[in-house]
Amino acid sequence: MAIVQTRDLTRSFQSKGSTVVALDGVDLDVNEGEVFGLLGPNGAGKTTFIRILSTLLLPSSGYATISGFDVAKEQEKIRPIINMASGAERAGYEFISARGNLWFFSQLYGVSTEDFRRRVATLSSQLELDGYIDKKVYELSTGYRQRMTIARAFINDPKVVFMDEPTIALDVMTARRIRDFLVHEAKDSKRTIFLATHNMAETEAVCNRVAIIDKGKILVCESPENLKRNYGHPAYVMELSPAPISLDNIASVPHVKGVTSTLDEERGVATVRVVVEEDEAINQIAKTLTESGVKLLSSWRQAPTLEEVFVTLVGRGFTEREHENAS
Amino acid sequence: MYSRAWVRVRSTYGEPVWVAVNLAVPLLSSLAMALLYRSTGLSRFTGFAILGGVMLAFWGNVLWSMASQFNWDKEVGIFEIYLISPAPISAILVGMSLGGILATVPSAALVTLIGWRFFSLSVNPSWVAVFLTFILTLASLYAMGMLLSSLYLVYGREAESLNNAIGDPINLLSGLYFPSIGTGSPFPFAVQIIASLIPLTIGMDALRKSVFYGGDVEAVWLDLLILAVMAGVLLFLGDRAMKALEERGRREGTLVVRLR
Repeated sequence: MAIVQTRDLTRSFQSKGSTVVALDGVDLDVNEGEVFGLLGPNGAGKTTFIRILSTLLLPSSGYATISGFDVAKEQEKIRPIINMASGAERAGYEFISARGNLWFFSQLYGVSTEDFRRRVATLSSQLELDGYIDKKVYELSTGYRQRMTIARAFINDPKVVFMDEPTIALDVMTARRIRDFLVHEAKDSKRTIFLATHNMAETEAVCNRVAIIDKGKILVCESPENLKRNYGHPAYVMELSPAPISLDNIASVPHVKGVTSTLDEERGVATVRVVVEEDEAINQIAKTLTESGVKLLSSWRQAPTLEEVFVTLVGRGFTEREHENAS
Repeated sequence: MYSRAWVRVRSTYGEPVWVAVNLAVPLLSSLAMALLYRSTGLSRFTGFAILGGVMLAFWGNVLWSMASQFNWDKEVGIFEIYLISPAPISAILVGMSLGGILATVPSAALVTLIGWRFFSLSVNPSWVAVFLTFILTLASLYAMGMLLSSLYLVYGREAESLNNAIGDPINLLSGLYFPSIGTGSPFPFAVQIIASLIPLTIGMDALRKSVFYGGDVEAVWLDLLILAVMAGVLLFLGDRAMKALEERGRREGTLVVRLR
């Protein structure tokens, strides 16, 4: 049974006299015990979606339910069974210990002292917070603050946990620890983890299913493996010098699904990633580059990843889309 | 509610600089006013200045540690954790109030102690009346703090500006250091009427009567009644405003404005 369900969910905002559609007719079912990924570039509508599901924002039209309760009208029935964590939030009150903060937040849910002690012991152990739990928050490093934030989101034993970029700006080891924890919580405790992120490696590592969102619309929703198999075309990564002024002539080559690029200004080298439907397209691209005076320094073929899936679906990479959304 | 009070008290005493500021500001302002009274030959009014310093500590706490605290919570993302929890916001605010009162008691006690020791205050208290007036003044003050806090659900910096704007006028009109209503008030009648709408004004007037002039419950019953009504009305308005503004915030998307 779907624990999170949305039908034709739409949310628009008024901004500078015009209407901005942040979510556009979203239909989604998320199952119990699933780590569900919502993958999209910044500005795609992920945070708006999480705010509606977590009862902080009303939809403009359509509906969403958590465990069968309407997020717009039955928030008092939803709030005891959900929790949320964001990579951008302050972990808690600085001059109080991590344990003290966790106790305070547990009281918002009426957690008994006995249950609190048991849960803190378990969460500290799972998130490797043991030696830090009695330190004041201001004494903790970014990684340990984030572990505390994650522990807070599970302190009330929620059925559904919404996570918005939970590993943003974290070191590799901490991010891995948190991902392992999320997988464990979903599998062993039958908890639903709803993960909004633009980190594709994270999505591939932990999610049972992924919905790719762009401009407020869900483009596809499948397991990472199926997405790569069904939508992922191989990519050719090419190092070019000088950097091409425009990518249009590459994008216009037949069988090219999308192009993204990054520039190493120090070396004056552009790394261009081209997603192609047919491998022959690469010969035409090489010819086009030579004609425009751009030298191909090196190139290699890359197996499809979720980045290629996104490029295939949208024709643009995450970075380009984020620049478009910001402008 | 109790857990939020605990957070308030622990946070206040978790940082030495805050402890110093909390203790020093009301103490220095009341000492300055008391010395001014004494140097101008009005020593009989120094007690008003000390009493004003005690109440300033609580009033400052309402403005800066309660209403503004909500804005800080909103900016750093803690406010949304409150909102998505089943705990009523009004319970969190009452907890903040209780914690604020407990955290302010040392400051108020210090002002009282130093005032008593250095200015040989002449008091004639009616303790029951003092106690009732003090409790009802705090109740109405913190109820006003709850109402102000509700503005942060929809307005952010605008509400903080309102906080800044009303601080000093209320200090002046409420007569923290001198009688602003009734006999001895320097204000015209119309201004006194406006000043009477502020709970702190009624509270200060009744406290002066009961602390310095032996006014018993019978002498201050009207002030007590007004304070009780104000506390009730402000609590009711605060609770209604909180619910209405939360719904409006959910509709307009203004509940969460985080500074990254």
